[in-house]
Amino acid sequence: MSSRPVHELIKELSQVLVQLSDKVVENLFNALHAVKHQDEHGARQIRIIDHEIDVAEVNLEERCLAFLALQQPVARDLRTIVTIIKINDDLERIGDLAVHIIDRMPEISPEMLDSFAFEDMGAHAAEMVKKSIEAFISKDRLLADQVCALDEEIDVMHRSVFKKVTTLMKNQDSDVDQLIAALSISRYIERMADHASRIAYEVIYLVTGEIVRHKGVLYEKLIESIKE
Amino acid sequence: MLMITDVRNTSESVPVPKTTREIYLPPQRSTITGGGAAHIAAREFSVYYGDFEAVKRVSADILSKYVTAIIGPSGCGKSTFLRAINRMNDLIPGCHTTGSLLFDGEDIYGKYTDEVLLRKKVGMVFQKPNPFPKSIFDNIAYGPRLHGVNDKKKLMEIVERSLRKAAIWDEVCDRLDKNALGLSGGQQQRLCVARTLAVEPEVLLLDEPTSALDPKATAKIEDLIQELRGSYTIMIVTHNMQQASRVSDSTMFFYEGILVEHAPTAQLFVNPKDPMTEDYITGRFS
Repeated sequence: MSSRPVHELIKELSQVLVQLSDKVVENLFNALHAVKHQDEHGARQIRIIDHEIDVAEVNLEERCLAFLALQQPVARDLRTIVTIIKINDDLERIGDLAVHIIDRMPEISPEMLDSFAFEDMGAHAAEMVKKSIEAFISKDRLLADQVCALDEEIDVMHRSVFKKVTTLMKNQDSDVDQLIAALSISRYIERMADHASRIAYEVIYLVTGEIVRHKGVLYEKLIESIKE
Repeated sequence: MLMITDVRNTSESVPVPKTTREIYLPPQRSTITGGGAAHIAAREFSVYYGDFEAVKRVSADILSKYVTAIIGPSGCGKSTFLRAINRMNDLIPGCHTTGSLLFDGEDIYGKYTDEVLLRKKVGMVFQKPNPFPKSIFDNIAYGPRLHGVNDKKKLMEIVERSLRKAAIWDEVCDRLDKNALGLSGGQQQRLCVARTLAVEPEVLLLDEPTSALDPKATAKIEDLIQELRGSYTIMIVTHNMQQASRVSDSTMFFYEGILVEHAPTAQLFVNPKDPMTEDYITGRFS
């Protein structure tokens, strides 16, 4: 079956999204590197790239909205465009979080950074983003499920940082400002992983047509706890 | 003798959403086929033109007071299925049916079915507006007169009520004695709807009712369908998929005489279950 121009356009929008994700992941790695090495020049570059990401995000959203208005897609075409719009938003937020990490650079020393495993944590979050985008490209439900499962590992890492920071803060001579900066960086990476999970959820919607977000048993548990 | 009962007095328990914006999935109507009371029910229903099977063993429930759209490529059997409901195909030589097609549980093709009574209950509006070359008043009064209403005052009431229901009263109330052929295409089509409503049908069959109309007249017909929804069971054949998605509660997709998928419209246009439906509505059909 020959591909129609309208479907070529959907492919093109998908490719733009993938290119954007490459840029976002690279900026995340560069942000962690810049903080570790107190690289002022690298930090400026990251802000410039983030601005480019912002412009690209708005541009892609405008193109998707125009597509919705002009082509009135249905079924998988509709789900693809809606998914692109939502992933686009998540990627932009991940880009912002990389800049937030840079913002903490003056507040934290390389020694303090070394005492936390932020590079591992960041690499883990970046891997989640990459895998969620791979799941989008290949419309792979199983891979999307894997990404959602990986989020728990990041949560564990973040809780460990939180515990360490609160323990250190109890010392009289602790540098509270630096510890708060460390906690913030951990929080930013944890938020990135959350966005990667959201991307994976969107992929599940794209593939199955089912919105699986918020389908946990939390609500039922809360109701039960009230009864108790 | 066909004992057609007035479902509008007996099926008040059927929930009817106010607009199609409310996702149509009432709890007791989670499926379209099987279970629950249907206004029209097809069971292994086929329509043949000679040896050619134009509609192939279709089984479906058409719910009372809902709007059902029928989509599919040309020649897929959608109009044949629609026309079978008020036996319009009877006029075609060699046309015959198998299986059953039920109206309120009674066989439309039963031995004792009164076609005139059936067509009173199941009205039809066609692609091209076809008003009689008579006055607007006489067009609307034609059906009631045929069914024995001759009282002038009563006829006037029917004419006004029907034209109001068809959202055209304000445009024609001061020229009821003028020839209906002087109306615009869109007005003529709404007049045809009013003419159908004058004999108080339960079902409205609309066969591509806007394909000959401009966008403004099309919008008025679509608004009218929304107005009539909840009072009549409406079935619309359309090639315009955006129209099907805008006006209907459920959609049937036909291909080569087979009913491929019948689902709530919001489901069919967002997440169709059959790959053939998906390929058709996204334009990937080869």
